[in-house]
Amino acid sequence: MSLSRRELLSVTAGALAGAALTPRTVRAQTPKKGGTLSLRLWDPPHFDHMLIISYKTNIALSFTHSRLVKQKAGPAIQPGTFPLEGDLAESWSQPNENTYLFKLRRGVRWHNKPPVNGRELTAEDVKYSIERFLTVKGNANAYMLRSVDKVEAVDKYTVKFTLKEPFAWFLDMLASPMAVAIVAKEAIEKFGDMKKPEAVIGTGPWMLDSYRPNVGFTLVRNPTYFLPNLPHIERIEVTVDEDNASRIASFLAGKYDLGWENPGIINRTDWVQIKDTLKQKRPNLKTAEFPANVMSHISMRTDQKPFSDVRVRQAISHAIDRQGILDATAEGVGVFNPAVPAALKDWTLPIDQLGEGAKYFKHDPGEAKRLLAAAGYPSGFPGTLCFTTYGSTILVDAMQLIVKYLKDVGIDAKIDQKEYGAYIASCFQGKFDSMTFGPQTPFLDPDNFIFAQYYPGEPKNQSHINDPVLADMLVKQRRTFDVPKRREVLNEIQRYLAKQQYYVQVPSGVYVGVWDGALKNYGPNVGYDYGGRLMAAWLDR
Amino acid sequence: MLKRYLARRLLIAIPSLVIASVIVFTLPRLIPGDAVQLMLAETSYAKDIDELRAKLGLDRALHVQYAEWLGRAVRGDLGESLWTRRPVMQELGQRLPVTAELALYATVIALVIALPIGVLAAARQDTIADYVARSVAILGLSLPGFWLATLLIVMPAIWWGWRPLTGFVDFRQDPLGHMVQMLLPALILGIASAAALMRLTRGMLLEALRQDYVRTAWAKGLTERKVIVKHGLRNAVIPVITLLGTQLPLILGGTVVIETIFGLPGVSRFLFDAINQRDYPVIQGVNLLVVSTVVLVNLGVDVLYGVLDPRIRY
Repeated sequence: MSLSRRELLSVTAGALAGAALTPRTVRAQTPKKGGTLSLRLWDPPHFDHMLIISYKTNIALSFTHSRLVKQKAGPAIQPGTFPLEGDLAESWSQPNENTYLFKLRRGVRWHNKPPVNGRELTAEDVKYSIERFLTVKGNANAYMLRSVDKVEAVDKYTVKFTLKEPFAWFLDMLASPMAVAIVAKEAIEKFGDMKKPEAVIGTGPWMLDSYRPNVGFTLVRNPTYFLPNLPHIERIEVTVDEDNASRIASFLAGKYDLGWENPGIINRTDWVQIKDTLKQKRPNLKTAEFPANVMSHISMRTDQKPFSDVRVRQAISHAIDRQGILDATAEGVGVFNPAVPAALKDWTLPIDQLGEGAKYFKHDPGEAKRLLAAAGYPSGFPGTLCFTTYGSTILVDAMQLIVKYLKDVGIDAKIDQKEYGAYIASCFQGKFDSMTFGPQTPFLDPDNFIFAQYYPGEPKNQSHINDPVLADMLVKQRRTFDVPKRREVLNEIQRYLAKQQYYVQVPSGVYVGVWDGALKNYGPNVGYDYGGRLMAAWLDR
Repeated sequence: MLKRYLARRLLIAIPSLVIASVIVFTLPRLIPGDAVQLMLAETSYAKDIDELRAKLGLDRALHVQYAEWLGRAVRGDLGESLWTRRPVMQELGQRLPVTAELALYATVIALVIALPIGVLAAARQDTIADYVARSVAILGLSLPGFWLATLLIVMPAIWWGWRPLTGFVDFRQDPLGHMVQMLLPALILGIASAAALMRLTRGMLLEALRQDYVRTAWAKGLTERKVIVKHGLRNAVIPVITLLGTQLPLILGGTVVIETIFGLPGVSRFLFDAINQRDYPVIQGVNLLVVSTVVLVNLGVDVLYGVLDPRIRY
């Protein structure tokens, strides 16, 4: 991480600075109010995060809306870790495994826009938002709070959640920037939903000032934000820029303050090409490197031959040259993923600690052929590999390599390439005959990678897994509240899955987080919470 | 006579539009995956999919949906976007002027480049001017618009740290900035069309200049300008006008890429997103609009024949 020591000090030791440093230094480290930050983001298909799972909408709402709890942000937070803190909730308690009580901050005001007009947020708003999240038709993320039995507004500032069953990830789900932003009932009732920009009325640090379809939007500081003196940045100008060459040109010309790809990064393939030019054009850029939580994998019909035989799946894992994929697609820089992506540092298990299953991550075509022969396929077998490009040349290159690696051990996989919509409607939902290759939604918690993809009957169980031993462990980790013990269960699951190879994980690249040197007190991380990461940042220019 | 011709042509256009409406309604629905599956993506349960499909009216028989849509379309109501719930007509009203303006500028630029160079190449056949013009035309045809656009955006940024304006500049707020912003994309779109038009202009004019009436014009002692423009070009230009009519769909197709690269909020980008999202009312609305425009432009081209060539009477 190229964050300078001076900047780190300016953030973490700000309170001490006044007493210890000279007046001139103090001036340099005191957050400045105002300024305009320029970002390249995406045009939200609409603004109702409960009716879409698009990152484009979630990122836009990360500026304007609050959650009950949120992930901490800032230079002190190591990318890939997500410690929680209160957002609208001042504090919370858990009287028993199935009950949570949240005490809300007092005096939180909605944005001063009709029909809400800056009234105070109450427990009823939280209750309304959660109930809408769970019941509105079309909320594909409703499953994240499926454990909730009921929500009650105990008094004006206290919300009580009663769960149907223990769910250790409950707070992480509430904190997810992909899920439960708290919304105003009046706005939903007036506009029917939150799709229109006029309905974007939250309690977040910035307010939506104007929206220009396909062009961009402008956010302005919320003068009544509940955290005193925050945010520092007065205005955020968002440009929709759908062409990579145009984005590169804009960044070189200094028009964007953060890297243009989610989450404020530059893809390594682009970075390698322009970093020398950037050194001349923008010498004050800051960078930080951290693994991507976008993980691709090969799914297989494990309920059918030949993939029902664990040796076939292990052979496929042996066949894949993971480092070869990184060399070809990520300039050789990346991380191998077990079942929990390596990016989630608190929960992932390094490959060399996967026990017996670690060996299947080694590229060994000879062993792959031996395993195939032992499973009754000495000459390999034919199959198909369902795929969509997602508009990514990196993904296309990885897919072509995978087909080659499979061919090397005798598996003749014909590419079944589909248009994106057709792919989502079929292969992504497990409707394929043989194999599928593609990326997964980049969640920030292990449960969404583990439970959702491996538990029988879950929509994301693409490999059609029905393993009672695994299912028991998956439920157990959800019911284990003690964090070290839960980590142990997750480690056990990852070791088990390394042997089973229900999905063959492909390595992830390492992001290059990039931001303008004038942006102070900013710390990059994976995830859609741009607003959270920028809330306490300021501009020194 | 012209009125009767126009009425007859418009009547003939109705079956074309009806057939086009069936195609634009049916084809998107034949692509696997619908809007509901894309909205719910990987986290959907079968029950949720069915419920949302019913809510959006996508569970009804296709012919029922078509009849309802067509009934509304003839009254000027193209329905609402399945994703944003905004009326398609309202969305088109915001975006159409951008694409129409871009297409108009591209056409004007194509004509401004093609006609003088085509005439010059024909008038100076087999001279250096002719060779240069033909080479430039071949180059113009060969250079992909997206490549040219990429170079024009990236290279100034690398050399001088400058790039053309990002973000759309509204004409009402900054007329000059707006025109400057539209110039580069229009130029790139116009160049490809200009190349084809230039080659045709040259070829047709060469043929016209070999006709007896042109020899007569020379013999009468008319100036070169009069012979070429009045007697040659006027007769040569009809196939060029025909080609111009057929260039419109190509220019509109080209705007998909150009609008994306230059960040222009036009119809083409809107259509591209709608196809990816299976937003049927938007796909239908935009395509119907494009088909209607092409039909009308071609009708206009036919009428123009009569103006340019006195022998053609309706």
